Amino acid sequence: MHHTVYVTSYMTTSTTASAEIFENLKLELRRGCLTLAVLTQLRNEQYGYTLRKALAEDGLEIDEGTLYPLLRRLESQGLLVSQWREEDKRNKRFYRLSPQGEQTLNQLLSEWQRINTSLSKILQEA
Amino acid sequence: MSTPKNPIELLDRYLQAVRFWLPKSQRQEDLIAELGEDLRSQIEAQEAELGRPLDQAEVSAILKRCGSPMIVAARLGPKQHLIGPTLFPIYQFVLKMVLLWILVPVFIFIIGPVNVAKAGGDWGTAVLNTIGNLWSGLFVAAGTVTLVFAILERTHAQIAIADKWDPLKLPPVRKQERKTSLAHMVCEIFFGFFGLTWLLLLPHHPGLILGPASTFLRVGPIWHTFYLPILLLAVASLLRSGITLARPHWVWFPRAAEMLQELLGLIMLNFMINAAAQAPGGDWHPFVVLADAAKNSAQYIRIAGIVNASILLSLAAAWLGVCIALAVQTWQLLRDVRERISGTGQPASLHVH
Repeated sequence: MHHTVYVTSYMTTSTTASAEIFENLKLELRRGCLTLAVLTQLRNEQYGYTLRKALAEDGLEIDEGTLYPLLRRLESQGLLVSQWREEDKRNKRFYRLSPQGEQTLNQLLSEWQRINTSLSKILQEA
Repeated sequence: MSTPKNPIELLDRYLQAVRFWLPKSQRQEDLIAELGEDLRSQIEAQEAELGRPLDQAEVSAILKRCGSPMIVAARLGPKQHLIGPTLFPIYQFVLKMVLLWILVPVFIFIIGPVNVAKAGGDWGTAVLNTIGNLWSGLFVAAGTVTLVFAILERTHAQIAIADKWDPLKLPPVRKQERKTSLAHMVCEIFFGFFGLTWLLLLPHHPGLILGPASTFLRVGPIWHTFYLPILLLAVASLLRSGITLARPHWVWFPRAAEMLQELLGLIMLNFMINAAAQAPGGDWHPFVVLADAAKNSAQYIRIAGIVNASILLSLAAAWLGVCIALAVQTWQLLRDVRERISGTGQPASLHVH
């Protein structure tokens, strides 16, 4: 009886730890991809909610607490420009890529292609 | 607490709660306006889908999904820390040094025995006072160290630390330190344990130190004051041997612990010699006194005088010996530290396998 309890407890702890490791690694993997996705989406001007919606429709959900600090950071780095504007009788903050952002995005996309090609090759070899 | 009258008031309450946790700035207003706009858009989209206004439970579900105000504010706000990742390892090291290797030994070996001596035999009060003082000392020391590092963090001292390093000034690769042999350590523990047992038995069996002379000699008052510090030093010595045996990879420990023990021993010897010197001159018997039955014998008086003088001379010789040992060890330690800082020594070769 006791052995069963210990084994179950060990398995639960082990599963929780493994799930936590996976979540952390997934977050690390997503972090860079999200920046790339946000910059790509903002080739066309959008405000926060529509941007989140567009990303979610393409399978990349992002919560408010992650998106808005990311937008602020990209703007402070000069990759985005923003403007408060009235639309449908409500004030909304619209974002779009700056000229520097366009240039950086192109570089990032080339890098992404290179990594993707390498990774596909590595996965095929494995 | 009143319930909100409509879903919009619920949203306003939520935004107010998030604003409370955000640092006050223009950025705060921007973030709140943007979050509010996002949530209103979500409400609108769901209303358009259902073809009717949302009720409070439905708006509440949207807010619940967004997260608790405190967590949302933590995610939205600037990332803050008291001591950043660059300074943190140094902070941790300094804190450990100050609390564990300076403050605690000072209280155990100096302030504690002084409190016991002052309390005049009231051990309970002395121990409680020492623990109380140690507790506040730990808080004050930890607070001061944290404050200093927080100031360093704010003044961007970590940038200077991160930039001001030179690979050529790295310390030379250390020679494999000679590890103390297992047999030596086991012997040290055995004799340490034996010595401690002997010390614990002494108060009840003075014959263990005075031998046959215990028939006419008694231990002097000085030992009542210094018995506890001597006992604590013996325990510390035993612990040091145990730790050295259990943690052989702590190469710095044996020397550091030995030096600390010698320093404390030196302080105690100093106090003992001073106390003996201040004993009344006419009846100078600080270490051993005559038993009542032998007080009138001139021969016993002469023997007691010789024993007291011998013990004082032994203590003075021990004091001198410990001083020399401590000076030599300090010099060796300083030489090692200087070598590490200056980086003198041959650079390590790169091994490619």
